[in-house]
Formats: sequence, structure tokens, C-alpha cells
Amino acid sequence: MHQFWLAVGFGLVTASVIAVAAVGLSLQFGITNYINFAYGDFMALGAYFAWELNAGFLHWNIWVAMVAGALLVGVFAVLVNQFVLGPFARRFEKIFYVLIVTFALSLIILSLVTSIWGADVRRFNMPSENPLHIGPFLLSVDQLIVIGIGLVLMVVVHLLLTMTRLGKSMRAMSDSTTLAMTSGIDTRMVTTVTWFLTGILSGLAGVVLGITAASIVPSFGETFLFVIFAAVIVGGVGSVYGAILGAVIIGMVTEISAVFINPAYKLDTSFVVLILVLLFRPSGIFARVGKA
Amino acid sequence: MAPILYYGFTLLFFFAAYCVLGWGLNLQFGESGILNFAYIAFVAIGAYIAGVTSSGPPLPGSGQSYVLGATLPFPLGLLAGGVASCLLAVLVAFIAFRRLRSDYLAMVLISISLVMYDFINNYVPLFDGADGLNSVPMPLASTLGLNANSFLIFFAVLTVVIGAFMWLIMSRITRSPLGRTLRAIRDDPDVVSALGKNVFRYQLTAMLIGAFYAGIGGGLIVEFSSSFNTSAWTVPETFIIFAALIIGGLGNNVGVMVGAFVVPVLFTQLPKFIPDIPGHPGLILNLEGAVIGVLLILTMWFRPQGIIPERVRRPDRFLARRTVAAPADAIDADQVDATASPEAAAVDAETVR
Repeated sequence: MHQFWLAVGFGLVTASVIAVAAVGLSLQFGITNYINFAYGDFMALGAYFAWELNAGFLHWNIWVAMVAGALLVGVFAVLVNQFVLGPFARRFEKIFYVLIVTFALSLIILSLVTSIWGADVRRFNMPSENPLHIGPFLLSVDQLIVIGIGLVLMVVVHLLLTMTRLGKSMRAMSDSTTLAMTSGIDTRMVTTVTWFLTGILSGLAGVVLGITAASIVPSFGETFLFVIFAAVIVGGVGSVYGAILGAVIIGMVTEISAVFINPAYKLDTSFVVLILVLLFRPSGIFARVGKA
Repeated sequence: MAPILYYGFTLLFFFAAYCVLGWGLNLQFGESGILNFAYIAFVAIGAYIAGVTSSGPPLPGSGQSYVLGATLPFPLGLLAGGVASCLLAVLVAFIAFRRLRSDYLAMVLISISLVMYDFINNYVPLFDGADGLNSVPMPLASTLGLNANSFLIFFAVLTVVIGAFMWLIMSRITRSPLGRTLRAIRDDPDVVSALGKNVFRYQLTAMLIGAFYAGIGGGLIVEFSSSFNTSAWTVPETFIIFAALIIGGLGNNVGVMVGAFVVPVLFTQLPKFIPDIPGHPGLILNLEGAVIGVLLILTMWFRPQGIIPERVRRPDRFLARRTVAAPADAIDADQVDATASPEAAAVDAETVR
């Protein structure tokens, strides 16, 4: 039982990491209606930017470096949309063109990251601490901060979507871009802002993944992609709240499974959940019409 | 003989093998519109199965461990690889193919590729984990008394022969009613199912045939290089084949050959000859992926049809040939239809037979 509660604690940490990543992916998918297959590499980019500020070129505090790195990825995402993805999405009606372009971007970013930072394992420069006993859990301060970041971001995204004009425009576009446009929403502007947000969230997710995994390699975002996809599909593609629920389910399942099976395969269990969902409810828990 | 000659035959082998891989993916993606981002996983299963079924049980002292150790004679191991790949395709199709939008399906497929990679990399008893297979015997070498050098030439030529045979089969398939139906599904699956065709069954067929090509291609690679491990089938490897298809020209088998020459042969082999920039070892090879990615994006923007575009199959000419005996007014009616709604008529002509 003790083991089980420890696993639940780690599950909260993993769920927070997945939730940040999955919400970022879902926001962008909802607006632009195509999946960004370079998302994992956006995450890696965020982790390396933060690493450069934290342990490489500068020696900033890891959390400051995290925010700065995430903002840089946000800018990068806007540029990518402005000059590459946006033009392709507007020009070609067939969705596979832009999907292949995101796939190409994934290879380009991976290749550039490997060229700049090398394939060696990198670590953030963080003081090591003894884990704390909190109720039945055993978590380090960093892990608690990661959970806190996850919770705060979810609340912020919820408030953004429900309380602000921008968030309402985003939800309107997610339902129908054409209708949103005819009711006077500047859809290009909303798309640009969305890319900025998805960039920031992917960057943050990359850094917190690097912190919780205690190592960064160029392909670590890409290999984590299937866990994020599992959360997104389990929750229902394009639904932000579904993505959060999916992240909690996948985070818990992967960490609790590590109690019973070899931890090397714990992430693979997310795929088992994905298959079960595909077999019994292929459009996800929060199914959205026209998105699946 | 000069080393350059052996190198030439190595390139010839990779060209032929990538043609086979390209045709398989072209049937799935170029002809049927299935975004199979897990293609390299099908290649890998073919390679692993062909490898373990021809290299015998693992030797006790070698430290290797894998399943299914057998010593099947040459073409049987290769075929076993193709069949194993087909079984994977059936499994994948039944899990993921029903009621999924194409990009949603692509997410599931790339996840399948990543999970299989993770699992095979970690689970040593299956295919020896990250070390992989490294002592697959050279097929037919002992029967024909070949050494490593003459085997290289022999197997490169044999692969070209096998490739030519697979080209014949594939060009029959793409010209057949099956190929026409698949293209119609690619262009508009809803119209095709409205015509009473079972879209799922056609896509399953395309997946199966494509997976067989992937398995054979993988088997050829493992038997040529006598080793195979997880570093050979990361996600970017799938991308190389997609890039070959799109740059060469989607939906036509000749374009695939051009693409197989340009991308996997030219762009992944030539950089090995560019000398390293001092102080940055390996930089050129690391940048190779970025160069291929940029090349692909530029191709898709400036020449989306590829170097050799897909042949336009004119429905009116096709109908006229098919309905020689029909009364003249029937042909006229068809042509009126074609001008009224060329797209619908094209689907009609492509599928109805």
C-alpha cells in the first residue's frame, strides 16, 4: 500500500508534465485543425534553451531560465507559423500537406538541436534536495513545484478560455473558423496568439520533463510524444479539458503500473490505455463533433 | 577490384531496396491516402523476422538472445519477414482504422512506431534489445561459395532482380481496378462508400500489400548488412521514405524510383564524402536531416507534384474505350456528365466497372 501511494505521488508529477504538454497541443489543434508532429521537438528546443540559460552560457536560476526558454519557443512557434505552416495551411486544402510539413519541421529541429548541442546527455544545474514526506507521498521540492506549475497553468488556461475576449474567440474558432470570421473575429491574429501560447506551453513542458527525467537528449521530446498523444486521444482530440483529464489518467496509469511491472516499460502502458480507448470509444472521453 | 566498385554495388543495393520500400509506402500513402507514419516499424518487423528465422537459435556463448531462431533457406526467411509485417498491418488496421480521421490515424500510427521502438529496445529476450541482430548469415553464400566481397555484388544484383519483379507486381496493382478504387478513396472516401464500396476493406488491402513490401525491403536490408538494431529504425527513417515519395512524385511508381535515388542514395550517402569542418566532427552528418527537411518543404511549396507528377488518368478517354459497343447517345450522356461535374465523373469512371 505504501508503494502504491508513493506511485500516486509520482503520478501527480507525471500528470502535470503531460497536462502542460497536452493542453498546448490541444489548444493549437483546436484552432488550426491539424496536428503538429514537431511538438516533441518544440519541447526539446525549450529544454535546450533553458539549459543554455541555466547551465551553459549563463547561470540563471532554473525557474527563471524555464520561463525565458519557454518564451523563446513561443516566439519560434509564431515565426514557424508565420513563414511555414500558415502559408501551407492556407494554400493546400488537403490536410496531409501541412502534416508532412510539421513532420519535416520535426526532423529539421531535431537535426539542428543535435548539431548545436550534441547528442550527449545534459542536466539542469539544480541543487539536489532530500525528498519531503507529505502525507503518504514522498516528493522533492522540485517535483512539488512541477505539480504547482501544472495546476496553475490549468487554472490560467481555464480562465483564459472562459473569461477573456481572446479565449472566447479561440473557442469560437475551434467550433467553426468560418463562422468566427463572419462575426468579426480577427482569425489570423487569434491563430498567431495561439501559436505563441502553444510554443510557451511546449517549452514549459520540455523543461519540466527535463527536470523530472533528470536528463535531456535531443530526441527526448519526440520519444515522449506518444504519451502526449495518448493523453490527447483518450481525452478527445481538440478538447482542452479532455486533454487535462487524459493527462491525469495517463500519468496515474504509467506511474502506478511501475509498481507492478518493470519500470522500463511504464510509459508503454499509456499505449495500452490508448488501444482500449480506441477499441471502445474511438473519439475519446470528451468527444467533439467533426474533430475525430 | 577497386573499393569504389564495391561502394557502387552497395549504393545499387540501397537504391533497389529503397525502391521496394518506396513502392510499398506509395501504395499506402500515394495511392490510398493513408498517412502511415509507422512505416519504418513495418520495415523493422520484416527485418527482425527475416533475421531471426535465418540465423538459427542464438549461440550459448554469444550473449545474444532472441525468439524464433530458425535456419530457413534463403527466400523463405525473407517471405516470413513480409508475412510478419502483414500480420502487424492487420493488427494495426483493426485497432485504428475504423472511424478515424486521417490525421488522428497518423497520431496513432506514429505512437505505434514509438512504442514498438521503446519496447523492442528495452525487452532484450525478443530481438536482443538495443544490440539487435548482428550475425545474420549471408544467404546462399555457402551454397555458391561466395566470400564477403563477391557476396556483396551477388546480393546487390539479386536485390535488383527481386526489385524488378516487385515493380512488375506493383505496376499491375496500381493499374488494376483495385488501384483505381484506392485512388478514388484517397480523393474522397465518402463518395466511394456512397457507391457501395467497403472503404475499410480496400484500405486494409492497401495496408497489407504495402506492409508486405516494407517487410521484404527490411528483410533484404538485414540479409545484405547481416546486422540490424534499433538505431536503424527511428522515426526520422520513416521521414526519409516519405521525403523520397514526395520529392520523386506521389502516386506514381517511376517517381518513387527517382525519389529513392535522390533522397536515400544521394542525400544520405553523398554527405559522407564531404570532409568534416575542423573542430566540429559529425556536424555535416547531423545537418543532413535539416537539409532533407528543407528540401522537402521547398519541393512541396514550389513543385507539390514532385519531380515526376502522377499521370492524369482521363475519365472520358477511359469511358470511350470501355463502351465501344454502347449506343452513341450513352457516350454523349457520359460526356455531358463529365463537363457538368468533372470530379464526380472522375470518381465514377475510376471506380465503376
